[in-house]
Amino acid sequence: MAEKEIKGYEGLINRASGIYGLLKYFPEDMSDEEVEGILHVLPKDMSSAIRAVMAPRIRKTSLALLKGMQQWFDGAMEARAQGKKIILVPFNFPPEFVYCFENAYPLTSEVLTVAGVAALEGQGERYWDYAMGLGLPDYLCSSNTIELGSALTGADFEPDAIISAAPGSCDANSKIHEFVARYLGVPQFILDKPVDDSPRGRKAYRTCFRYLVRDMEEFAGEELSEDRMREVLTRANQATQLYYDLWELRKMRPNPCPNLFTLYAYAVRYVLWGTDIGLDILRSMIDTVKDRLDKGLYPAEEEVARCFWIYTYYYWDWYGFFNRMEERGITVLGDLLGSFFFQPVDTSSRESMIDGLADTCWDYAMTRQVGAQSMSAQWADDIAYWTSQLDADACIYCGHHSCKQTWSVFSMVRSEIMKRSKIPTLMLQGDSWIRRMTPMSALDEQIDEFVNNVLKRKRATAATEVG
Amino acid sequence: MRTMQSQSTDLYSEYVRDWKEKGGKVLGYACVATPVEIIEAAGVLPYRIKAFGHPDTELGDAYLARFNCRFCRSCLQLGLEGSYDFLDGLVETNGCDHLRGMFENWQHVKKYDFFHYLKVPHFLREDSLEYFTDELALMRDAVAGFAGTEISDDALREAIDTYDEVNAKLKRLYALREQTPPAVSGTEVMQVLCTGSSMLGRDFSDLLDEVLEEKAKARVTDYKARLMIMGSATDEVDLIADIESTGALIAADALCFGSRSFWTRGGESGDPLALLAERYLGHLFCPRMFNDYERRIEYVLDTARRAGVDGAIITYNKFCDLHGVESVSQRMDLERAGIPVLVLEKDYGSKADTGRVKTRVQAFLERLGK
Repeated sequence: MAEKEIKGYEGLINRASGIYGLLKYFPEDMSDEEVEGILHVLPKDMSSAIRAVMAPRIRKTSLALLKGMQQWFDGAMEARAQGKKIILVPFNFPPEFVYCFENAYPLTSEVLTVAGVAALEGQGERYWDYAMGLGLPDYLCSSNTIELGSALTGADFEPDAIISAAPGSCDANSKIHEFVARYLGVPQFILDKPVDDSPRGRKAYRTCFRYLVRDMEEFAGEELSEDRMREVLTRANQATQLYYDLWELRKMRPNPCPNLFTLYAYAVRYVLWGTDIGLDILRSMIDTVKDRLDKGLYPAEEEVARCFWIYTYYYWDWYGFFNRMEERGITVLGDLLGSFFFQPVDTSSRESMIDGLADTCWDYAMTRQVGAQSMSAQWADDIAYWTSQLDADACIYCGHHSCKQTWSVFSMVRSEIMKRSKIPTLMLQGDSWIRRMTPMSALDEQIDEFVNNVLKRKRATAATEVG
Repeated sequence: MRTMQSQSTDLYSEYVRDWKEKGGKVLGYACVATPVEIIEAAGVLPYRIKAFGHPDTELGDAYLARFNCRFCRSCLQLGLEGSYDFLDGLVETNGCDHLRGMFENWQHVKKYDFFHYLKVPHFLREDSLEYFTDELALMRDAVAGFAGTEISDDALREAIDTYDEVNAKLKRLYALREQTPPAVSGTEVMQVLCTGSSMLGRDFSDLLDEVLEEKAKARVTDYKARLMIMGSATDEVDLIADIESTGALIAADALCFGSRSFWTRGGESGDPLALLAERYLGHLFCPRMFNDYERRIEYVLDTARRAGVDGAIITYNKFCDLHGVESVSQRMDLERAGIPVLVLEKDYGSKADTGRVKTRVQAFLERLGK
C-alpha cells in the first residue's frame, strides 16, 4: 500500500538532485534583489534554507557549496550511467576511500538526508513515514532513516552496496543500514570498531579495514591503484590542512566564522574530501572568514556567547538555527560531528595509505568518542580540548532522541565538562532532522534563557568579583 | 519447582545468600556473550544481572535517560540503590549502546574494585574469533587475579563440561514444553532459567534433575494456542505469565534469557579458550551481530517448526534499536513462512502495560482463530 504513495520521481535523491541541478544557473554574484525574487517563487520549506544560505555575508561561499553539492549529485548520476558502483556510506566514514576507486562513487546517507531536508517541500517527512509504515520503530535516527526510507520505497536512486562503519559506536545507524542492505538485496560491508583503546584494538581495526579493502576491491572489480590513491589522498591531506586553518580562525573573539560555515566544513568533509571541488569550497570559506576578520565583522553588536554543541545540531531550519542565533550574538563554535583529530595520511606507499585511512576512520566523529572503550571519558576529553581551544563560554547538547549512546552517558559528560572546563551545558531535547518533535521557537526560548540567565549572570558575577 | 518459583524473582536469593555467607565471591554480568565457564572455573559465582521487582527508576533515569531502555535503567536503579551490593565486581560487555551506558554509569558511581570489560566483536570471521580468544585470555587472567587463584585449562574444561550438562538438561526441559500436550508452561521455564542464572552451573544441573523428574509426567492442557516468544533481553516472568493468562502457551522461545543462551554451543577447538570463543561468538544469535541475519532467522524458524507453534510474539523494549529493527525482518520472514506474528513493543516491567499486553495477545489469539 505504501508503495503507491511515492512515485518514481519522488525519491529523495531524485528530487534533491533535480533541485540542486538548477543551481548551476545561479550567477556567482547574485544581487539582493535577485535573491529576494527567488525567495518569492520558492516553496516555503526550500525558501527557508535558501534564505539562510543567501545571507549576504556568506552568499558567495554558499553558492560554491551548493554548486559543489550539485556536482556531487551529478557525479553519482554519471557514475551510475558509466556502470560504476554507487556505495552508500554513513557520515562516520571517509568518502575519499571510495574516491580512491576508479569504479566506485560515494553517497553519504546522512548528508543526503540533510540535503533533502533543506531542499524539499515537506522536508524528509514522507520518507520517514514510509519507513515507519514498514514497521520500523519511531525511535530510530532520522539522520539516516529519512534517506534510507526513501531507498526503501524502491522508487529512488539506489546504492549498489552499503558500507557500515557504525557497529561499535551506534546501534541505530548500523542496524538501519543492515536492514536496508537486506531489503534492497545489496551487500553490506562492515567496519567494526572494537571498543578497545589498546594497541591490540587498533591492530584489530586495521585488520578489519583491510578486509573492507579486499571486499571493496572484489566488488568494484579493481585493485586499488597506488597512484590514484596518492592523488586522492594528497588532496585529502590538503583539505585537512585547510580544515585546520579554518579551525584556527574560529578561535578569534568575536568569531569571524559564520555559524553556517561549521556545517559547510563538515558537509565538505563528509562528501567531497579528496576532491578539487572540496578544496575550492574550503578555500572560499577561509577567504571569507579572513576578510571578515580583517574588517572586524560580526553579525551582532556583541558576541554574547560562544557555544560549542557537544554532539550535533538541528538541521531542519537553517535560518532559524544558524543565522538567527548569530544575529542574536550567539556563536555556534562547532559541534562534535564536525570536529576532527585527523592526521595527514602518509602517502609514501599503498600500505601506508591504507593504514592512514584506517586511522582516519578510527578518529572519525562519533567513532572516536562513543566507539571508545569508555564513551564518557573519550567524549569528555575531546570536548574539554575543543572548548578550551575555541574559548567556549558554554556547551549545548541537542538531545537528539535517537542518540541513545550519548544520552546514556550525557549526565557524566556534563559533570566532567563543568568540573574540567568550568562551563555549563544546556541540555535540549528534539529531533535533529525532523521538525515535528520540538519547534525552533521552543529551542530558541531555552537557548535565550540559558544565555541570559546563566551565561550573562556568570559573566556579571565574575566582573563583580574582579572589580 | 516450588524452589524455583520462590527464588526465581528474588535478586538476593537464598542460594546467593548462602554462597556469600560461606565467603564466596559473586561477579555480575549482563550479556549472553559472557562465558560464565571462566568465572565458574575460578570458583566464583557468575550472576546474571536482572531487574526483578521492576523498580521505579529515579536514579537510573538521572544517569541514563528516558531514551534508554527501561531494562537497563531498572538494572542501574537496583545497582545504585544498593540492591546489588552483594556483587563483588562486574563484567561489562559491549552488548548494545544501552548496556554500555548502564555499566559506565554503574561503575562510575559504585567503583567496584573489580571491573572487567570483555570486548565482543560484532561479526564472526577468522580475525574476530582470534581477537575474541585473546579477549577471553585477558578475562581469564583478570578473573583469576580477582579470585586469587589460577584458572587452569583443566578447570576450564571441567566448567565447560558442567555447562554442557546444564545445556543438555535445559534442552530436555524445552522438549517437555514443546511436546503435545506440554509438561511445563512457558512461565515455569522462565522461572527455571532466571533461577539458574544466579547459580553455579553444577548446582543448577542438580536442580534441573529434580525439575525434570518432577515434570516428566505432568501435563498442561488448558491452553488455546501454542506460541513462540522472541526478542530483546527480558527476565520478565510476569510478562510470560500475563501472556499465558490469556490462554496462550509459550511453547518455545528465542530469547536471550532463554534458548539463545544455551541451545547452540558448538565448537571444535582443543584449546579451551578457543573453544569458548567458538561457542560464544560463533553462536551469538543476537541482532548485535552483523552479516549473520540468515543464521538467526534460520534458528528462529527451526525453533518455531520444531515446537509446532500457531504464531509468534516478537517483543522488544521501547528504544531497543537492535531488536526494534530486527523485528521487522523477522516479522516479514516468519509471515512468509506462514507463521502469524504479533509485534509487541513494550516498556520493560511496566505494570501500566499489563492490560494493553493482555488485550493485544487476546486479539492475536482471535486472529489465530483460537
